[in-house]
Amino acid sequence: MAQQPLSSAAQPTDIYGGDEVSALVLDPGYCNTRAGWAGEDVPKSILPSFYGHSTATPAQNFFGDERLIPRADFEIRNYMNKDSVVEDWDVAPKIWEHMLINRLQPDKQTAPSKNGLNDDPKEKTQDGEGDVAMEETENQEIEKLLQENPLLVTEAPWNTPKAREKTTEVIMETWGCPAFWLSRTPVLSAFAAGKATALVIDVGGANTSVAAIHDGMVLKRSIQKSPIGGLWLSSQIRSLWETSEPKVTLTPTYMVENKTPVDALAPVQARLRQFPYQIHSSFRAYEEERVLTEFKESVVEVWNKPGRLNSPGNEDFAKTLPGRVFEMPDGWNQMWREQRFKLTEGLFDETAGYPLPEEERVGKNQTIPALIRAALEAVDVDLRGNLLANVVVTGSTTLINGFNDRLQNELAAMYPGMKIKIHAAGLTSERRFGAWIGGSILASLGTFHQMWISRKEYEENGPGIVEKRCK
Amino acid sequence: MSQSGATVSQECITAYNELKLNKKYKFIIFKLSDNYKEIVVEEASDSKDWEAFREKLINATSKSKSGAIGKGPRYAIYDFEYSLASGDGLRNKLTFLAWSPDDAGVQPKMIYASSKEALKRSLTGIATELQANDPDDIEYDSIIKTVSKGLAG
Repeated sequence: MAQQPLSSAAQPTDIYGGDEVSALVLDPGYCNTRAGWAGEDVPKSILPSFYGHSTATPAQNFFGDERLIPRADFEIRNYMNKDSVVEDWDVAPKIWEHMLINRLQPDKQTAPSKNGLNDDPKEKTQDGEGDVAMEETENQEIEKLLQENPLLVTEAPWNTPKAREKTTEVIMETWGCPAFWLSRTPVLSAFAAGKATALVIDVGGANTSVAAIHDGMVLKRSIQKSPIGGLWLSSQIRSLWETSEPKVTLTPTYMVENKTPVDALAPVQARLRQFPYQIHSSFRAYEEERVLTEFKESVVEVWNKPGRLNSPGNEDFAKTLPGRVFEMPDGWNQMWREQRFKLTEGLFDETAGYPLPEEERVGKNQTIPALIRAALEAVDVDLRGNLLANVVVTGSTTLINGFNDRLQNELAAMYPGMKIKIHAAGLTSERRFGAWIGGSILASLGTFHQMWISRKEYEENGPGIVEKRCK
Repeated sequence: MSQSGATVSQECITAYNELKLNKKYKFIIFKLSDNYKEIVVEEASDSKDWEAFREKLINATSKSKSGAIGKGPRYAIYDFEYSLASGDGLRNKLTFLAWSPDDAGVQPKMIYASSKEALKRSLTGIATELQANDPDDIEYDSIIKTVSKGLAG
């Protein structure tokens, strides 16, 4: 026991340029935002990018899953847009600060009475005139909060110059970081797979992207994205349940007070909770999404036998495969068989899958094979073989059973005679947090101190330095 | 460009020039020093035995943060020599090989991939670059095909 290394808190943090740089890594996504210390294997703080917003006066925000509970006058919002670009710049720094400081370095946080996070609204109203003075101290203290922590932030390869500038401002002006860096997620995923050249396929929560990386650079013209991803898959499941016979009602967990186990397809015996106030539809949708996620994790599969699901004979064969039972929060349960495969078929074939409302339907240019084809056609023909031999698959949605086999089959059919090799991390965490892990390793390297954009460089060049340095 | 910031030691360039200009070596294997700060020469050899070279890559190791020894990536320069199938004589091709076995740990893979450009840029006159991730990728027959663009006899 005496031989144990010092805990990270006890280790010296002053050897900037050594391997302990006390750097932080922040990886914002549409469904989750991940934050943690550089050098660690997984992000210590993972929070939904969805947050609660109380519309009562004064308005206030709630961060973290445990605070997203039924409340009056309470909506669920998201600070990112579905293209994984920050949209709400008032809230983004607050969520980030909540994660980087309150969650990761609680000893550093400003007193809860002053930090403006998760305030009790009553207290504030009683404050009256004292409010102004408080805001000032708050700002001063925040400025000091990250003065010892270089910060690496990941971004989508299509992140806008404006969003990059905003991020830089928050890092340098609001938090006072000594240094920072912005990294493109597909480059980090490629590097983490040991490849400087790769075709990175990232099937995430809100979107899917395909990007060619060559010698550690994103080839801009190759970048393709589409809204198919985890949330699109949720719509497929909703559609399946809607059109099922009998129709499956999605009652989220928070509504169920108690339930009695019932047989498969038997009427539900549950008592529902009553709320003395209106539950906002966004809250219900968020809660429904949790049930859908569970369904995706335990029931949904990708058709991975030869051909597509609608190839002759395949659908009949799918019906003979073992099914999976899923129990809804209210006790409804039933066996799902060939439907499990049909749900994901639209990722590969826009004509398959369940009917969706028009705004959620994807076109034939938005399936994964179409994105890959478009990405490859945008790059030099000499490079294509090399990219196909180095396909890197990442993102949580790729964890669905059968995904990699199917992708291999699709690519083999599209590019006969070419060597196709798919690399997908075996560890679930590496697939879910691929970009964060890559950033964590990079930012923990002693040698990386010469890459960081330092405060001095920033002050001499202004926020435009990002466009020059982080390419 | 995201790069690790690792530096290239002078011995890498010296050894490379010995190989390129004086044909002193057949291959050079480079590695990152144990503290991951610098790229150094692990071995420079005039042995023409491809299988021995291949074994060296396959058996290469690196140390993870926690001190555990696992498979390790490497960089290598190999001076390929082959005769053309058309009978037009011998050709030499300096080839840069980025070896990163899929079953190596994520940390060494990340560091080697993000440091590669530093080494490649220091070595001038490389004709071909290959990225290899499993033992099948470094079979002589398939490699020579790629290096010679199918022209080897």
